[in-house]
Amino acid sequence: MIVRALGVAAAAALLLLPLAGFPYTTTLLLPAFGYAVALLGLNLLFGSTGLLSFGHALFVALGGYTAAALTGRLGVRSLEVVLITAVVIAAVVAVPVGLLCVRYVKIYFGMLTLAFGMLFYSFLYKFYALTGGDEGMRVLRPVLLGQPLAQLDTVAFLTGPFYYYALGVLAVAMVVMRRLVTSPFGLSLRSIRENADKAESLGISVPRHRLAAFVVAAIFGAVGGVLLVVPTGLADPLLAYWTHSGNLVFMLLLGGFEHFLGPVLGAVVFILLQDSVMSVTSYWRFVFGAILAVVVIFFPRGLMGLLDARRTATS
Amino acid sequence: MDQRLEGLTLLGILLGGVFHAAVLFLVAAGLQLVFGVQKILNLACGSFYALGAYAGVSAVRWALGAGLPAPLFFPVLLAAGLVLALLGPVIERLLRPIYGRDESFQLLLTFALVLMFEDVIRFFWGTAPHQLGNVYLAYGQVRVGGLTVPTYNLVVIGCGAAIAGGMGWFLARTRFGRVLRATAENREMAEAMGIDMTRVYARVFTLGMALGTVGGALVIPATAAVNEMGIDLIVEAFAVVVIGGLGSMRGAFVGALIVGVMKAVAIATWPEVEMLAIYVIVIAVLVLRPAGLFARATA
Amino acid sequence: MRLTRRRFLKLSGAGAVTVAVPLHGAPARAQSGPVRLGILAAKAGVLAPVGESGLRGVQFATDRINAAGGILGRKLELIVEEESSPKDTVERFRKLALSDKVDAVSGAISTGVGLALGPAAEEMKTIWLAWDATTQKGVEESMPKPKYSFRSTDNECEAVMASMLTARHWKGKFKTVAGINPDYSYGRDNWAAFLAIMKKHGIELQVVSELWPKLGATDFTSHVATLAQAKPDLVFSCFWAGDTPIFMKQAHAAGLTKTTKFVLTTGGGVHESLKKDFTPEAAILGYNCFYFENPKASALAKEFTRWHAEKFKEWPNYESDHGYFTVVAFKAAIERAAKAGGGKWPTQDAIIQGLEGVEAESLSGPRRYREDHIMEATFFQGFTTYRNRYDFVTIDPLESMSTKQIQKPSGVGLYDWINGWKV
Repeated sequence: MIVRALGVAAAAALLLLPLAGFPYTTTLLLPAFGYAVALLGLNLLFGSTGLLSFGHALFVALGGYTAAALTGRLGVRSLEVVLITAVVIAAVVAVPVGLLCVRYVKIYFGMLTLAFGMLFYSFLYKFYALTGGDEGMRVLRPVLLGQPLAQLDTVAFLTGPFYYYALGVLAVAMVVMRRLVTSPFGLSLRSIRENADKAESLGISVPRHRLAAFVVAAIFGAVGGVLLVVPTGLADPLLAYWTHSGNLVFMLLLGGFEHFLGPVLGAVVFILLQDSVMSVTSYWRFVFGAILAVVVIFFPRGLMGLLDARRTATS
Repeated sequence: MDQRLEGLTLLGILLGGVFHAAVLFLVAAGLQLVFGVQKILNLACGSFYALGAYAGVSAVRWALGAGLPAPLFFPVLLAAGLVLALLGPVIERLLRPIYGRDESFQLLLTFALVLMFEDVIRFFWGTAPHQLGNVYLAYGQVRVGGLTVPTYNLVVIGCGAAIAGGMGWFLARTRFGRVLRATAENREMAEAMGIDMTRVYARVFTLGMALGTVGGALVIPATAAVNEMGIDLIVEAFAVVVIGGLGSMRGAFVGALIVGVMKAVAIATWPEVEMLAIYVIVIAVLVLRPAGLFARATA
Repeated sequence: MRLTRRRFLKLSGAGAVTVAVPLHGAPARAQSGPVRLGILAAKAGVLAPVGESGLRGVQFATDRINAAGGILGRKLELIVEEESSPKDTVERFRKLALSDKVDAVSGAISTGVGLALGPAAEEMKTIWLAWDATTQKGVEESMPKPKYSFRSTDNECEAVMASMLTARHWKGKFKTVAGINPDYSYGRDNWAAFLAIMKKHGIELQVVSELWPKLGATDFTSHVATLAQAKPDLVFSCFWAGDTPIFMKQAHAAGLTKTTKFVLTTGGGVHESLKKDFTPEAAILGYNCFYFENPKASALAKEFTRWHAEKFKEWPNYESDHGYFTVVAFKAAIERAAKAGGGKWPTQDAIIQGLEGVEAESLSGPRRYREDHIMEATFFQGFTTYRNRYDFVTIDPLESMSTKQIQKPSGVGLYDWINGWKV
């Protein structure tokens, strides 16, 4: 009940924020939407299937560079086309990578995903003729639903149409993920997480389900990546670095990985927290490390777990 | 004459790789020990390495300033690394609450440590590189034909080998070593036999930390302590552990040699792939022989 | 018990959000009160020492300006944010522009960040005075005619000057060349410029080894072994960070420094770490735009060097001068624009006009912004020597070249300009 009330209040706040006249805070939340979408995917992988990926940033970067390649190099500005292309490319890359990774669990899965993430980082960095190397690739302003909106300057674009577009994409992503999680597929995933052998004996193909979860997570990651790079205007290799993957896991844990609203809450709180802490001290990494430690030790279910203590009894 | 020169330059390249492997082995050994016994993959092993490096610089600088003759810097380095390990029990205490939990949480907690250590180092030592300018050649150089190698490199290689041998003997022959191996193989059984896990864990973690800090201290005369040196090393340490097999000390040794030598050969023959080579090797090993070369039967 | 805890968390959660939001609803850009300058300084990683250096130059300039009464009577206030990844730095820039409503932003060193900030500055209509990060891509391709962005000197200037010195002093004295440069755009651009200039001067050379260690690497034993095998007459490197002394130390330990000529285009930035123990004499060493023992140093330079040495226990490097210049240029531009506008505080457009072509005294001598928003400055390089009272090398004699000689003029590509030289 309280969760629902808070959720409605938060949604209302997010919808009204651009109108409240705080352009900076509004642009600040844009990456939070991108991260929230990416985290929905990571949550499926970790929360539902029990696989902790330390290489999720690979797909976020993939989405970012897709947006850059299409808008900056190939002149394709339609954001819808970019999003669909990112989905396709993410799926294409996720299948072989997933086939290799989901054979293993736990530590090995984490290490293998970390290695793949770093491999992609090295590729982005090294093949500079293709990717721009350390200089990255420019992302030009996309066209939303066919409206070029050229009369708006970038700040107006970002705090207005793009904000609502990103929020819309997030809403759609949440609906889709909700359907997935409550579907038989989602239930199968959770049964695999609880006891893989038992699930197998019940006729659930464990590798195939895990692979599907991996691919879905990758798709969400790439969509998040597209939303992430538009405000920056640049896709750079650091998007794929393993510490970026670590931050994604941090966000998910902060929000609460077993709960559906965990990703959104985690992304928003992390972004706001990072902004506040960075302005106060240059030792913000220490503060964040301490926060992560506290969350891991004392609040492993994250903020949603605190707000919704009811759930801890059932899971 | 030409063939002899080629042999020598190959030797030079190999020695460079083995030098790097010696340091890598120490960090990876620490990683392996902690994982083998406590089943925790400690991302902060790179941070211990960095701490050892910075502390090594400070300790030797102070000692030389206080009048210590240059050739005696070596024991000071070792001491700096070992003294740092006194922090081991403190850090282990911090990790204790999550021992029973899912591996992912343990990994995340060590990631939190990585973040915190970065700023701790920056707080105490600042952002500029710290180096020991004049002790690298305190033991002279070894010249074989056209090849010149600083004796210190050989000292470090020797040290790495000695510690590897020492660890092997320690694990096989001493009582505590046997306790460690028993715990690694079957923790419940070991506990049932009356072994005090709390003390074992504290000691193992401290030993693992000592290996990392000593590794960092040993390498410092040849290089410099820079911010984020720990973060870069973690991935290489992972590669060693993956190749060698999680939890295996022998695996750390062989894995470090493979990584060190392959990197050196890549630099000499195909410099463009220097960065990529390591990840390809890791992925290849994880795919073809996931347990690594010296798989350990873990409970 | 449960309810209380939940309520507390709910309230604090809501409180956190509501507190965070109004913090960014700052008042509009003021005409009175302090002038606000946003600073983007790197605080972590391989860029940190350079970021710190730039910040010191900025601080020195700000203190002097405020001690002398500020800019047109208004105090100069700094708001310092961190330069990190391009994405995060653009967000910091946005905070400075939209929330803190600064009058201008000074800072940025890394290439990726520079490329992202250019468009951001134009979009947010905020003056940006870069300290570094001037790649050809940033200048030519992404923004050929910026309004709000003012760049630093070209990244290739050091390589150009070092190449000229190499050609002048060492032509005919070397045949085989090896390059060891950090594996990113700066490393590649400088190496390419060097080769092009050698070719232009008709110097026949053979590249026997090209190494590309990761930026900020700390182990070069294998690289050094490879170089020893290749036996180059000359080694070219544009290392600028902690890698410089590490490489020299390991090269020396392997006997490479005995017979090989070294060209270290930017190593002077970390000159204090280039100890005599392992750095050879008669190497070409570049200090970018600031040399701490310039015999022709101005009183200002001497004062700054003294202040820096006393306060930080180390000698200053070039980034301090870049940072310093952005601040004094900003002040000079405002004063210039005010004079043209009858004495009152100028508009932003007037300040931008004031910046174009503005001249100001930096720590190393006069500098200016060209009309195309690129910096003009003086570069210092020379041959290393042990004849000094330090434990590290210095250069003697000191060669200085203006950007008029080593930086391409506006409107022409770098390689077209090089090819058009008369040698």
